[in-house]
Amino acid sequence: MGLSVLARNLPYLAGAFALTLETAALVIVGGTVAGVLLGLARSTRGRALRGAVALYIGLIRGTPLLVVLFVVYFAVPSLTGHRFTAYEAAVIGFIAFIAAYIAEDVRSGIRSVPRGQIEAALASGLSRGQVVRLVVLPQAIRRMIPALFNQFVRLLKFTSVASAIGVTELTGATLAVNAREFQPLPLLTGLALAYFAACYALSLVGRWLNRRYAIPG
Amino acid sequence: MMRMTRWRAVGLAAVLAVLGTLASARADGTLDAIKARHKLIAGVKNDTPPFGYIDEKNEVVGFDIDIVREIAKALGVDLELVKVTSPTRIPLLVSGNIDLSAASMTHTREREGAIDFSITYYTGAQSLMVPADSPIKGLGDLAGKTVAVQQGTTLEKTLATLAPDAKVQSFRDYTTAWLALRQGRADAFTGSYDVLRGFAREAPGFQIVGGKFSLEPFGIGIRHGDWQLRNLVNAVLQDLWISGRYREIYQKWFQIEPDIPIETWPKG
Amino acid sequence: MNYSFDWSVLWRYREQLLGGLVITLLLSLMAMAGALAVGVSAGAAAESERPLLRRIAAGYVEIARNIPLLVHLYFWYLGLTALKIPAFWCGVLGLSLYSGAYVAEIVRAGLQGVPAGQRAAGLALGLSPALVLRLVVYPQALRIVAPSLAGLFSQLIKDSSLASVISVTELTFVAGAIEGDTFRTFEAYIGITVLYLVLATTIAQVTLWTLRSELVEPAMRD
Repeated sequence: MGLSVLARNLPYLAGAFALTLETAALVIVGGTVAGVLLGLARSTRGRALRGAVALYIGLIRGTPLLVVLFVVYFAVPSLTGHRFTAYEAAVIGFIAFIAAYIAEDVRSGIRSVPRGQIEAALASGLSRGQVVRLVVLPQAIRRMIPALFNQFVRLLKFTSVASAIGVTELTGATLAVNAREFQPLPLLTGLALAYFAACYALSLVGRWLNRRYAIPG
Repeated sequence: MMRMTRWRAVGLAAVLAVLGTLASARADGTLDAIKARHKLIAGVKNDTPPFGYIDEKNEVVGFDIDIVREIAKALGVDLELVKVTSPTRIPLLVSGNIDLSAASMTHTREREGAIDFSITYYTGAQSLMVPADSPIKGLGDLAGKTVAVQQGTTLEKTLATLAPDAKVQSFRDYTTAWLALRQGRADAFTGSYDVLRGFAREAPGFQIVGGKFSLEPFGIGIRHGDWQLRNLVNAVLQDLWISGRYREIYQKWFQIEPDIPIETWPKG
Repeated sequence: MNYSFDWSVLWRYREQLLGGLVITLLLSLMAMAGALAVGVSAGAAAESERPLLRRIAAGYVEIARNIPLLVHLYFWYLGLTALKIPAFWCGVLGLSLYSGAYVAEIVRAGLQGVPAGQRAAGLALGLSPALVLRLVVYPQALRIVAPSLAGLFSQLIKDSSLASVISVTELTFVAGAIEGDTFRTFEAYIGITVLYLVLATTIAQVTLWTLRSELVEPAMRD
């Protein structure tokens, strides 16, 4: 009986699962780009920019994700006059949220590159920009792989919170089916399994990448 | 550390205050905006049968949906449905996320402080739902019992007034409140009579008791100042009544004749 | 946009906000206790000599960590419908088991961080293996992980906001109720943002101070 409720609604749930994975991919890319930019800005020389970025990061890191989503979906449109769909608000919220965390990982990643290498590179005539691009970032990113994939798996899990502002991703879709069919145990077990499969797979990819590209020592 | 926290809070408040004062009054051109983008964005419920809910084909259908479809048709534009719940239907309208809100919303004087309403397009009543074997037969039996209700509704306040000894438990949306009754977490569930009927159709083993108390006239929500849109919506509603189309839609969703007519005004 | 801010709504609903804050704190404290209980056991089991214990611990950590917290909460609240666990305890259970997996990893890293020589020295002094763990290994591990644990507690406070979805009357739920009553969405959510900020930062700092003073003082006494 449990399996039949899943079978009956499989097309709908599978579609929602696809949306979840697409959304996760989108915010992973967007969040990483935003996070790297933010992380670089955090270590810049301009004090005003550094301060503003630090303020933003501190603000976001102290706020629950759900509240960030509510603020983006309800508060921002009223002030800027531009409406977001629930999906857009979720994507913007996720990217804005994870960027603050990735920025801190980037900062640690950059700081973990030995100073001696940076000084040697500068001494050999490379410009600051070139040193960042060719020496610091590649090493920083390799060191950051475990931390980054941690954030990526977090994002995949976060997509479930979008159901709270009405996005019909996997969790929202499962709850909608349950509201009609009232078979919570098989539906929620299926839901848990789907996320487990996706997150575990993603974390395995991260571990494999880390083994291949990690800097020894 | 504490100093940084205080500064963050001050910084946040300052940013918001500046943004708030910069926010300009939006020109009352929602109707123009709808025509320009060729789409009406309507806030409807997804969890309140038969007004707005998800059917077995996993599509959003309902009485409110059919009404806004008629409005979009009269405007000659496409329709986009945005899911709202009782706590979010007014904020989403006020913030501009939706053009109008057809979400089983009771017209109250207090709410008029925040938004405008169309003429009444449905009149309901509040009632109670309990398990079939429950000893509760009406409002008088609710002392000490847990009653589930949706947050942000007139239903919540009315029940608190009519049954002050009941333990009112509010939930984020209609479905969660209904589920609380189904799970046995609540002894009773209060909602609009026709909504309760809608839920009862999904699940045998529950009955509606307590008769009908408190009148619930529903109106379509529109932002303050959007008088052109409101006039148009009122005109569409009246035309639906005059042409008999309203009766069709009503019977489709409630299986009975509408007992209260939509008020109509002469054209000129 | 015809919108005028009305921050007085936060003052008018101060009782409800305070109530929500209390529930958030209670929820977080109990969940932290639960997470520590589960996490320390799992972390210790992960470092145990018996392969079965290690595998069970690893299994628990992978399963709990790779399922969203929201799904954890719904599982207890909706999935195990027949048990009818009250919403607050569903919140505690969900948060404990989810965060417990992270505590387990932190504890495991902490135990690995204690130099092997310390254990050998303790045994050489004639202490039993159990006493070595209790008096030598764990205190040092705790000192190593104190910052991570403080960070986790702060994260738990923020995660507790998800319990609003299963109708636990904590801070985010109260904001929703205020919004439903007054339509003052922005004031309500910005208000609780500030509260969460203050709460999360304060708790992290207090935890750090407590753990450090608990660990430094005994060492200084000798």
